[in-house]
Amino acid sequence: MFYLILFLAKLINLIIKITKIGAGYTWPGHIALKLYPSLFKDPHFKFQRGIIFVSGTNGKTTTTKLITHIFKRAGSNVLHNKSGANLLNGIASSLLLDTSFFGKTRSDLAVFEVDELTLPELLRNIPPTVLVLLNLSRDQLDRYGEIDTILSKWEDSVKALDAQTVLVLDSTQKYFDQIGAAHRGKIFYFDDDVTTLHLTKLVGDFNAKNVNASITVASLLGVSKEQSLVYLSGFEAAYGRGEMVEHGTKLFHLFLAKNPTSFNNNLELLLANELSPDTLFFILNDEIRDGRDVSWIYDISREKLFEACKDREIFIAGSRCLDMAIRLKYAGLVVNESNIGIEAKKIIGKIESTPHTKIVAVFPNYSAMLDVREVLLGRQIL
Amino acid sequence: MNNKLSIAYFYPDLLNLYGDNGNVEIISQRALKRGIEVEVMNISIDSGFDASFMQKVNFVFMGGGPDSGQKSMYGDLVNNKKELLREYTENNGVGLYICGSYQLFGHYYKSADGTVLNGLGIFDLHTEHFGEKKPRCIGNTQAELSEIITNDPVFKNVNKLDTTLVGFENHGGRTYLGKNIAPLAKVVVGHGNNSEDKTEGAVYKKSYGTYFHGPFLARNPHFADYLIAQALQISGEELPPLDDALIIAAHTASKKLKQ
Repeated sequence: MFYLILFLAKLINLIIKITKIGAGYTWPGHIALKLYPSLFKDPHFKFQRGIIFVSGTNGKTTTTKLITHIFKRAGSNVLHNKSGANLLNGIASSLLLDTSFFGKTRSDLAVFEVDELTLPELLRNIPPTVLVLLNLSRDQLDRYGEIDTILSKWEDSVKALDAQTVLVLDSTQKYFDQIGAAHRGKIFYFDDDVTTLHLTKLVGDFNAKNVNASITVASLLGVSKEQSLVYLSGFEAAYGRGEMVEHGTKLFHLFLAKNPTSFNNNLELLLANELSPDTLFFILNDEIRDGRDVSWIYDISREKLFEACKDREIFIAGSRCLDMAIRLKYAGLVVNESNIGIEAKKIIGKIESTPHTKIVAVFPNYSAMLDVREVLLGRQIL
Repeated sequence: MNNKLSIAYFYPDLLNLYGDNGNVEIISQRALKRGIEVEVMNISIDSGFDASFMQKVNFVFMGGGPDSGQKSMYGDLVNNKKELLREYTENNGVGLYICGSYQLFGHYYKSADGTVLNGLGIFDLHTEHFGEKKPRCIGNTQAELSEIITNDPVFKNVNKLDTTLVGFENHGGRTYLGKNIAPLAKVVVGHGNNSEDKTEGAVYKKSYGTYFHGPFLARNPHFADYLIAQALQISGEELPPLDDALIIAAHTASKKLKQ
């Protein structure tokens, strides 16, 4: 059965590549899981150095990329899932496509970012070597439900974990105490000390925890803190997470802003002058993967929003551009109506033809970020 | 005429699920733009609170909260605030109660396991959660305001839009109205109170409950102004229109959103 599924997954992947359907990365895994529900328990998926899961509301992609970067530089072959492909199907695809026709994994270490709701199901099937839990904050209430609900699901799954798994937790999150108490094995903590962050090129103090978490994981698997920091000096931000894109005569700086925490974090970058754009571009979509409810934009700090926007040119796009415009209006800001439109592409065109605009900070939510990258770079990610 | 809007915002720290606080921001901004003085007083478990305080208030707001938030404020609400809120409501005090607090204003809330939690009993309604038997009510919503509101001259004076409300709902409990309370609106899109009888929210005297959660007033400027006019005890004609072009566009666009 396994070899048949493996062959099928590779075939599907090949077809997607040849036909350039794009956006099909999760399909092989999706179909494989339908035909072979116990796929994850298959003994072929062996990784000599171990398997690492990273979950939490914010920072998953960056932390996964940091850990991957350290171990690649340290000489490992590292398997990681493409950002966003963090549900069961995406992880299944990653595993299958890393496995040779002879059933051997090519990588010696696997690092997966895992969606918060998917984590319990995955943990039931794969006991990781290290489990990193970053944080939980309000996000997509219509899909995830309340934080307390996820927290209690996590607690149950950690309780059922083997004592061999090492847990890595944020020491500053009080609500993780109950998770720590539920675990039978070892626990290591990281904090928000910015010393290490300042040795990397990453911006934003919120990234300190991501850097410290990845250094903690590396040291558990034999890479010293000093060595990790040497490797991390060459680290580039994950896509859409502080990524810089030159387009025409303008420089676009992309900061994913998908929930109140990440939005407020990004505003703080502006307030601390870590970024000095002359223009801000907000894009708000309401696709299912974004959460259809955009109410959360009122959890963005009114004061921070006002301070960050007041002396800058503002553009707004996305299926819910009007809601975003009203949010800014109630924060006391004035937005030129001709700078607002549903299609990101059109608004980018407007930005291009605005002479005094040079550096644009873009704050898109999830699907909006994929849209804006497609316009700026001419390709989709997933 | 009362020329100052004094807002009592109850439990902003515990009941603020998903931007409910936006309503206080919106009411305040719309009043300030008209040159009306605004004071927002946050009331939580440890705040000083008595009859003299409530005398100063002309608008009360309470949002919805996560289970943990509702558990922590429940005792304080029932033991320390119930009678004053009842008196305020019975004396035609203006209030807006969203989702969790709307439920708490009713007689009781029955959980899926049969546990009954008594509410304030100010609104003649009760709420039941059917657990796994019935799905949560989630999605975009649209409803037609009841005639008690659309026939009110104050509403007619402030309304520059239409007679619908738009919003988003996300609730597990289903609410059933009694005889002594009217629905706020009739469901056009969405579940409303219980997904059965097409009612949405409730009106009792000058207090309003709704399942349209989060920044409910952002896309319903006519209802926001209606609350302001009632709180200030004015006819509504005194409120000059604001530049609401964007807001009206958003309200209209919302009617096309899928549930």
